Amino acid sequence: MPAVDRILVVDPERCTGCRICEAACSYQHYGEFNPRRSYITVLKRESDGLFVPMVCQHCAKPLCVEACPTGALYQYGSAVFLDKSKCIECRQCVNACPFGGVGIDPVTLQVVKCDLCGGDPQCARRCPTGAISYVRADLVGYRRKLEGAERLSRLTSLIVPSGGG
Amino acid sequence: MRYGGYAGRYIRVDLSSGSIGVLETPESLARDYVGGLGFGVRLLWDEVDERTDPLGPDNRLVIATGPLTGTLFPAAGRYQMAAKSPLTGIWGQSNSGGFFGPELKFAGYDMVVIQGRSERPVYLVIDDDEVRLADASHVWGKTTFETTDIVREDLGDETFKVMAIGPAGENLVRFAAVINDAGNAGGRTGMGAVMGSKKLKAIAVRGSRGVRVADDGAFMEVVDEAYEKLQVEWGEAVRETLTKYGTPNLVEAINAIGRMPVKNHWTGYWERADEIGGVAIRERYRVKQGSCYGCLVQCKYYVEVREGPFAGRYKGPEYEAIVSFGSSLLIDDLPAIFRANHLADALGMDSISLGMTIAWAMESWERGLLTAEDTGGLDLSWGNADSVIELIEKTAYREGFGGVIAEGSRRASQIIGRGTEKYAMHVKGLEISAQDGRAHQSSGLTHATAARGADHLTSLSCLEERGYERVAAERYGEDKVRELTDPLETKYKGWLVKDLEDLYAMGNSLIICWYEVGWPPVFYFDDMARALAAATGMEEYRDPRAIRIAAERIVTLRRMFNVREGLRRKDDTLPERFLREPMPTGPARGNVCRLDEMLDDYYRARGCDPETGVPTDETLRRLGLGDLAGRWR
Repeated sequence: MPAVDRILVVDPERCTGCRICEAACSYQHYGEFNPRRSYITVLKRESDGLFVPMVCQHCAKPLCVEACPTGALYQYGSAVFLDKSKCIECRQCVNACPFGGVGIDPVTLQVVKCDLCGGDPQCARRCPTGAISYVRADLVGYRRKLEGAERLSRLTSLIVPSGGG
Repeated sequence: MRYGGYAGRYIRVDLSSGSIGVLETPESLARDYVGGLGFGVRLLWDEVDERTDPLGPDNRLVIATGPLTGTLFPAAGRYQMAAKSPLTGIWGQSNSGGFFGPELKFAGYDMVVIQGRSERPVYLVIDDDEVRLADASHVWGKTTFETTDIVREDLGDETFKVMAIGPAGENLVRFAAVINDAGNAGGRTGMGAVMGSKKLKAIAVRGSRGVRVADDGAFMEVVDEAYEKLQVEWGEAVRETLTKYGTPNLVEAINAIGRMPVKNHWTGYWERADEIGGVAIRERYRVKQGSCYGCLVQCKYYVEVREGPFAGRYKGPEYEAIVSFGSSLLIDDLPAIFRANHLADALGMDSISLGMTIAWAMESWERGLLTAEDTGGLDLSWGNADSVIELIEKTAYREGFGGVIAEGSRRASQIIGRGTEKYAMHVKGLEISAQDGRAHQSSGLTHATAARGADHLTSLSCLEERGYERVAAERYGEDKVRELTDPLETKYKGWLVKDLEDLYAMGNSLIICWYEVGWPPVFYFDDMARALAAATGMEEYRDPRAIRIAAERIVTLRRMFNVREGLRRKDDTLPERFLREPMPTGPARGNVCRLDEMLDDYYRARGCDPETGVPTDETLRRLGLGDLAGRWR
């Protein structure tokens, strides 16, 4: 079991749409580079430069777990896992998830979802921009504060005259 | 196919008959020519010759991936095109990033070969095993961006990767580009016009078959090493240049060595360069970072202009486009440059040939050789951005004087005559990219010898630009470092350009991006050999000497393509401006390009007869091309 006190955090502002996360995820789970089999997907509008990586949020109140009739989906610590031996492929979870966090593999047509790579999520490990990170849940808020502070200080510096007018 | 990395199949489409074949990728082709550029060279040598009309049905368009395409090896997201060029009439090739190349591989194909000519506009749909032609009459006339959107809507899935031509390709503008994934250009040598001549508007691809490598453990070790090199060893150098500013960071750096083309290559230094440089773009306009597939360098970016006539959100221009629409035309207005670059992408034209052909017109105008009568009243004074924007649109539709620009600088100057030929800055018909052999001697040799004409990506050395002394020492020996890193020195440059020509040919065959092989010079033959051997399982490539020989084979056969077209040493030259007019201003003032001092060395290194520039029989035999020996002198 992975270290369950850590969670995947996605920051779309940092995402550049390179799809390394997708290649790394598919390689980890299927031994092939195949973004369409990845559990994480970067949604993009290329002409405007909008990129949003979408992946299971590992919700604290997961609708997929609620929808699962056999207990195949279950919570363990701060994560949600899928026990394939109990899954009957009814896809109720796929419909229930508001983020597309549970999906259907295009090759096997079976229900699949992020398993945090057993505690070392490859998407976060390979992400070159820090858009995806795997961090202690209780520190996420602090990190956001830090980023906010940086943004604020940049704004402040804009209104401080920097010599020469 | 017993080798890993490859999809093992390719598609051949005959647009005349509408027939589509899915064929096995020959193992011998993979072993001897690796992929990408190598595939293009071999196929064009076999299927096209000196009688082929570039805009006729017999020309081939090869769209190829390589064994690393789509893997996690950094920046393996490009695809390579090759065809006989409608702009130059000789060897043509162009390469583009984005996501189209990997998707083709994910769909299970190493390559697409297009031949024939359709009667009506069509686009090709590749959806895993389903390959079909679809009617394109409703997108004919649309921009590349519109076409991408409409095709995705037709197919009901916006994740289809689309490469398309714009109106310029349809109207056979000789430097028409192919644009994929909203603004990635396969720009040079008119591949878009080849598609237009075949009435092929676009190719849309979606795939879920994935890519597998031969030796997983070894391959991921190679990937991890590559990450280490790019993120740690070269990390700061990459982050503080290409990642932070994109290629526009070259504007300031290249201007500083006096090599940035200004006013139709008149000089290499511009006092106003900072106005159009990477820092100005970053501080005033940049809003977002972008990237091609699988890249750690991530030089792509987006800009936003909030007010004025050119307000809008654009994909940021590359260094070459900034020079082409900026300093070459004496335009220092960044929003106008963004707009010009966007129009080139939307209408589907090569920003380099387009800008440099307009630069020819502006110099001819200044000298009174071209008048309002020729231009339909358009004022082509230096720096007139409004005229340039108008002329770009007219060029794509071949309206008025745009029809002359659409022919490229060599033909345009022949049409106008009156001595304007002297101001057409091209080699072999291809407009000269944003370097100057007077300030950077080896770049002149690159322009003169590159198979597709005056191009930088064939063999440009960056060792001199920023003085990469350690790299020069490691690759070529301590004793040569001083000469190799001095841009005004010609000694050893013939050998250097030959070596880099081989290196980039292999980069374009694997395929990995130039921005980790050429600039900065991170990966070399030994890195490529390890990656190729692990991905494919071809044991012979564990020896870097084997990969050098494959690269030489590709480059030599490409050179033979031009020899067959009748090209010889006399064609490996530069416009008079570079050879006789000393650089008038800037750090390189007073210099000309001493091309002849480098050419003999280049031919010797290349295994060519220095008198003719033709590869010798001995060279051809050594590279397994013995059947070509003795046929061309």
